[in-house]
Amino acid sequence: MKASALCALVFAVLAATNIQAEDIVVIVNPAAKAISKDQIADLYLGRSGGLTPIDQTAGSAIYVQFYKQATGRDVAQVKAIWSRILFTGRGLPPKQLPDSAAVKQAIAANPNAVGYIEKSAVDASVKVVLPLD
Amino acid sequence: MTAQSLKETLHRRVSRIAEPQILFPLIAVVLLAATWGATLGLIRIKHAEAEHDAATVSHELLGTYEAQVVRVLHEIDQTLNLVKFWHERAGMHGTLAELKDRGLLPPDLVFSVGIADRHGTILESTRPLGAVSVADRDYFRDQRDGDSIRVGHLPRGATGDGRVPFTRRLNAANGDFDGAVIVAVDASFFVSGYDASKLGEHGVLGVLGTDGIFRVRRSGDSMFSGDAINYSSLLPKPDELDADPPVSLSSWDGVRRWSSAREIYGFPLAILVGLAQDEQLAAVERNSAVYLWRAAAGSLAIVVFTALLGRMSWQLAQSRLRESDSKLAHAQRVEYLAYHDGLTGLPNRSMFSKLLSQRISEARRYHRELAVAFLDLDRFKQINDTLGHEAGDQLLQEVATRLHGCVRDSDTVARLGGDEFVVLLPELEDGKLAATVAQKILGVIGKPFTLIGHEFRVTASIGISVYPQDGQDEQTLTKNADIAMYQAKTEGKNNFQFYSEQLNANSLERLTLESSLRHALERDEFRLYYQAKRDIRSGCIAGMEALLRWEHPDLGTVTPMQFIPVAEETGLIVPIGKWVLKMACLQSVAWQNEGLPPFGIAVNMTERQFLDESLLQDLASILQSTGMNPQLLELELTESLLIHDVENTLRILTGLKSLGVRIAVDDFGTGYSSLATLQRFPLDTVKIDRSFIGDLVGPSEDSGLADAIITMGKSLSLTVIVQGVETKEQADFLRAHACDELQGFYFNRPLPANQFAQLMRAQTANITYVGTRAGLQNQQP
Repeated sequence: MKASALCALVFAVLAATNIQAEDIVVIVNPAAKAISKDQIADLYLGRSGGLTPIDQTAGSAIYVQFYKQATGRDVAQVKAIWSRILFTGRGLPPKQLPDSAAVKQAIAANPNAVGYIEKSAVDASVKVVLPLD
Repeated sequence: MTAQSLKETLHRRVSRIAEPQILFPLIAVVLLAATWGATLGLIRIKHAEAEHDAATVSHELLGTYEAQVVRVLHEIDQTLNLVKFWHERAGMHGTLAELKDRGLLPPDLVFSVGIADRHGTILESTRPLGAVSVADRDYFRDQRDGDSIRVGHLPRGATGDGRVPFTRRLNAANGDFDGAVIVAVDASFFVSGYDASKLGEHGVLGVLGTDGIFRVRRSGDSMFSGDAINYSSLLPKPDELDADPPVSLSSWDGVRRWSSAREIYGFPLAILVGLAQDEQLAAVERNSAVYLWRAAAGSLAIVVFTALLGRMSWQLAQSRLRESDSKLAHAQRVEYLAYHDGLTGLPNRSMFSKLLSQRISEARRYHRELAVAFLDLDRFKQINDTLGHEAGDQLLQEVATRLHGCVRDSDTVARLGGDEFVVLLPELEDGKLAATVAQKILGVIGKPFTLIGHEFRVTASIGISVYPQDGQDEQTLTKNADIAMYQAKTEGKNNFQFYSEQLNANSLERLTLESSLRHALERDEFRLYYQAKRDIRSGCIAGMEALLRWEHPDLGTVTPMQFIPVAEETGLIVPIGKWVLKMACLQSVAWQNEGLPPFGIAVNMTERQFLDESLLQDLASILQSTGMNPQLLELELTESLLIHDVENTLRILTGLKSLGVRIAVDDFGTGYSSLATLQRFPLDTVKIDRSFIGDLVGPSEDSGLADAIITMGKSLSLTVIVQGVETKEQADFLRAHACDELQGFYFNRPLPANQFAQLMRAQTANITYVGTRAGLQNQQP
């Protein structure tokens, strides 16, 4: 009983690690042009406009991982940055969608949109412009 | 104080400032004061600028912050009203979801929206609000009784993720209380605009309620909520709105800040901006420190520089002082030399003149007498010549010491030059007392001196003049003492004389003599007189002596005794002597040519004439030019002159003898010469001085001495002549003692040439004896 519980815990931790380690890709509308990693960071930290960044749910695993990999910042820092932008009236934070499917859908519908999803979730409706690691 | 003296005082002060020990410290103080004044002034100005800047920045930041906060609050209120509207209208669940779908709610990032029912239970929310019920919260309860926006607050402490709730009342259809809309905003959101580049680490940015409770405040990265402050004291008074905010101590954290606060219109909130004094002034404090260091370095440089200058100036002043000291010492030395005699250290003539003038003034004031005693050493020249100058100097020094030793301290002994000394006796009740002193001086001078191993005796002649009777001023007294001294000399030396008017007359005469003697030859004022020498047996004229007379146009006939010393002294004796020789020879030759018998003619010679280099040459030429027989010419020389320098005398006498002239010793017996010395000289005649025949009659010492001298002359095979025979008794005595010839008033007084010629002619005409006493007496004065 104890042993099976321990086995379950180990499996769960490994699974979590697996999920955490899943690759994220930045995607755009298939009609859109390519985009660099620096551009992505600027876009998601409110430093530049032009394209429409689409976010995932704040605090979700993919959200945390994306900001870590794309901008090098943790959640609190990202929040502070967008708080400041918001407070000083210089912009609005990216719209948050509940899951990768919604993101894909929104991007497929908007040639100016940029988003990020798990690599495994990519399909023909979107174009991968930048794999993150 | 007059204007003049005020000016002088001022001038003295100003020139005192110019002295180095005042000037350089003064310059240093002025420079230091200027340096520090400028530095401190600059610091104060920079400080004031920084304070003004800080206040201005604080004010500007407040304006910006206000605009941002107001916009956010309006957005919040808009959301509250929107939700209220939808909920009251729809009155069902799902309001928030629908609004969110439509994008009408503010971003989830910092905003959470919820709805509570009338019991305070949360019906729905965009995100969990942290509590199931808000029934006990003020911001909810207050909505029961009012219809305005309420703002809750966090518990006191670090803000963290805490949210500030904003509420508005929900009404039921009938207007009853039906719950509240809540918008919870991250407290940190309100201070997310904190700009460390402007506010620093200790500035403050905050939102607080009109209740005085901070909703959030931020300094650096620290955020606090829930602490209460005195709200009213924070806001500026209405009349100070435009003024710079003053620095005040922030009560919540004890930091001194320029703080500005402003109420937000329409909300129970106010905002606060503060700049920390230490941070805002840090730059200026750093600069101030730099300025102070520079000023300190500058001060050090000033002090060192002025110290160096001062030292150099001091050294300069010292060297000037030394220079002036040495100049002074030199001047004193020069003055000493100017007023003292180098040999004896006694005051000299200049000093004596000054002292005498001074003493005369004193004597005049106190009605005293004073005496000036002139002293001249007798025979000093002789000592100098025979023993040398060193001995002479030594003698003068010894005399100075002795003189000094025998007068009182108040008396002055001075040396006027040569062997002339003067003693000033300034304190005399009676001028005659000077005689005592003079006698004493003669006594001490008369004691033997030992010079270069030989014992010597010298004598002195002293002349005394007394103030006030002999003169009222320094020159007169000095001159009269001098005259008295000359008198003492003529009185036979080794004595002292007081000045008298008579002496003065004589002296004047002497002065006149001296000047007119110089012209006597060219004006042909000299005459020769002739005195007969008579044979002691026959009484006949055996020869003659030529005697010089001076027919002065004003003074009449001047005797040789009066002018010969002057002529000797001035050197005029040499030309005069030549004239005498020539005239005597011419006269003798003339008489012979007249047919008168060839009588011998004697001419006196003085020391100076005798020692004259060209004597032999001159004599030879005179003999030749006149055709005079040298055998008839007899030169008379005094005994003392002959024995002065025996070798030299011998040389000259030999030269004279070679010309064929005869040599006579005048004043024989007075020079104490030894027989042996006399024997060496080629002499022809001795003349015995009248002093030996003064009292010949009777068995006296004189008669014995005269006898001895005559005998001596005879034994040397010399013609013996006795001169100065004035009485018959004397003539008789001498005749008895086998003297050869006689000369004197008893026989003939000196006569001019023509009268003497008559005398000779008479004798030649066989008038054998004219020397009757009666006849001669007629010719006496």
